[in-house]
Amino acid sequence: MPTSEPSGTPALELRALGKTYGRGAKGKRAVDDVSLSVRHGEVYGFLGPNGAGKSTTIRMALGLIRPSDGEVRLFGQPVSDKHVLRRVGSLVDGGTFYPFLSGRDNLRVLARTQGHDGARIEQVLERVDLARDARRKVKGYSTGMKQRLGVAAALLDDPDLVILDEPANGLDAAGIQDMRNLLRGLAADGKAVFLSSHLLHEVEQICDRVAIVHKGKLLREATVRDLLDHGQALRVEAEPLDAAETALKGKWPVTRVQDGLSVQAPRADAPAIVRQLVEAGTDVFRVGPDDQSLEEIFLTMTRDSDA
Amino acid sequence: MLDAVRAEALKLRRHRATWLMVWIYPIAFTLIIGGVLLYGMFAAHGPAGPPQPAAEWIQDSTMLWKVPTSAPGRFLIAGFAAVVFAGEYGWNTWKLIIPARSRWQLIAAKWAVTLGFLVIALVAADLITLLGGWLGSLQDGQLPAGVTLAAVAEAHWKAGAHALLPIVYTIAFAGLFAILTQSILATVILSIAMVVIEGMLPLIAIFFHGYAPALTAWLVKVLPLYHMANLNAWAKGGAVIPFGPKEMFSLSWTTSFWALTAWIVAAGVGTQVRFLRQDLN
Repeated sequence: MPTSEPSGTPALELRALGKTYGRGAKGKRAVDDVSLSVRHGEVYGFLGPNGAGKSTTIRMALGLIRPSDGEVRLFGQPVSDKHVLRRVGSLVDGGTFYPFLSGRDNLRVLARTQGHDGARIEQVLERVDLARDARRKVKGYSTGMKQRLGVAAALLDDPDLVILDEPANGLDAAGIQDMRNLLRGLAADGKAVFLSSHLLHEVEQICDRVAIVHKGKLLREATVRDLLDHGQALRVEAEPLDAAETALKGKWPVTRVQDGLSVQAPRADAPAIVRQLVEAGTDVFRVGPDDQSLEEIFLTMTRDSDA
Repeated sequence: MLDAVRAEALKLRRHRATWLMVWIYPIAFTLIIGGVLLYGMFAAHGPAGPPQPAAEWIQDSTMLWKVPTSAPGRFLIAGFAAVVFAGEYGWNTWKLIIPARSRWQLIAAKWAVTLGFLVIALVAADLITLLGGWLGSLQDGQLPAGVTLAAVAEAHWKAGAHALLPIVYTIAFAGLFAILTQSILATVILSIAMVVIEGMLPLIAIFFHGYAPALTAWLVKVLPLYHMANLNAWAKGGAVIPFGPKEMFSLSWTTSFWALTAWIVAAGVGTQVRFLRQDLN
């Protein structure tokens, strides 16, 4: 596919994107002021709990839903330009296909709709390990097989941007591993990959950058490394936790995490923190570097947002 | 655009509804005519009756074209159109194809394939009927004098042309209902209701004429239902039908043709506009 946009133009750009369902007092704001950009050659994760607005955002990016506010731009062009949408491969709702057609015929229909002869059909079927089942009707496929066919459909026209809504859903461990390798391979080929997921462990392993959304709002956009890099944070485990939090809060920013406190402080402050805790009468079990997982960060951020 | 039509054709060729509601015409007529011919081969022949006039024989041979304009025929057409247009909502497959093609082209391809499949099936059924009639006549003796290929072709061409507008009209409204309701069942129910109301129109008009004669007459002239019936009457008998108590009015077939065309265009535009603005969650 030719890339005519200036170099550095994001493959996908959301500008203050918003969507409200319904009108007036009954209106429900599903997506609110979401701005982000996805570059060529990166895997971008879109994280959020169920109902966060991930699928609505993806549908707007694919022109399935009209935004109430803001704009979606693909390769620098508005999404209403059908020519740019042809450079996008997508998987939504775990692969939606004609149940009365075989896997191969579904791809033939899609290829003709896209305006090409489907020369890559066998290649993409092989790539997702569905070649042997391609003659079977899709209504007999398992969830994982439909998901893999969905990925094959997304890759059919050799897209420059691949948008995947929960691509790991229904896949077994081996399937998830294959998917991970596939997506990293696409990024290595210079393609942009935008995926939504609630499987944080997967995202942590696959994605270069992530955006965390909650209740329709973008809470944070950063590289996975930046999110996980807590060189300036210490993990404190002490009892009682409330007293420990109260004792430290005056001097350092403190966040409650799963089994303790995350204190925004350099390693050199550790002795002072221990002294403060002892003076407050708490029992100190551990003060050390804070190695939070993406899951913990995600839970902390969404909980703070709720508060 | 041609690719979108090819994609739609590939999809529908494999769907059961196409066999049940489109290819049923040639299949059913083959079976019926084959059965009649077989019966004629083995049944005892009585004394030959008077020869059928050529004009009557030719007119009888076009009987197939009355099917798609009849109520059951229109139910089948509407049912097929419902599957074609509303099926995508049920299968959740708009999400698969919308990013690949302009929405208006997807709808246009559906119109083209629905009409194309129906025309192919009806022409095939018509040829089978014609062949059956010819073989039946040979079985009974010979073709009536005066039956020429040119006369047959002209009669069939006219009958087919007359049936085309009602077919397009039925598809257009079923397509609109499908996009509005996003349901095959609701589309079929609305289409059936439309055909039934059309049949009951004279009774309805008589009922309301007593209360608001001017309004009733205006509505009947504006709405498509009378025009459909008027065109059907003209196509079948060569004369239009007067409408309402004391024959309130009688419009020419050209008036009905243009009125119906306007409604078809309106239904088409309505379908496109609604679909272009529709959110597909």
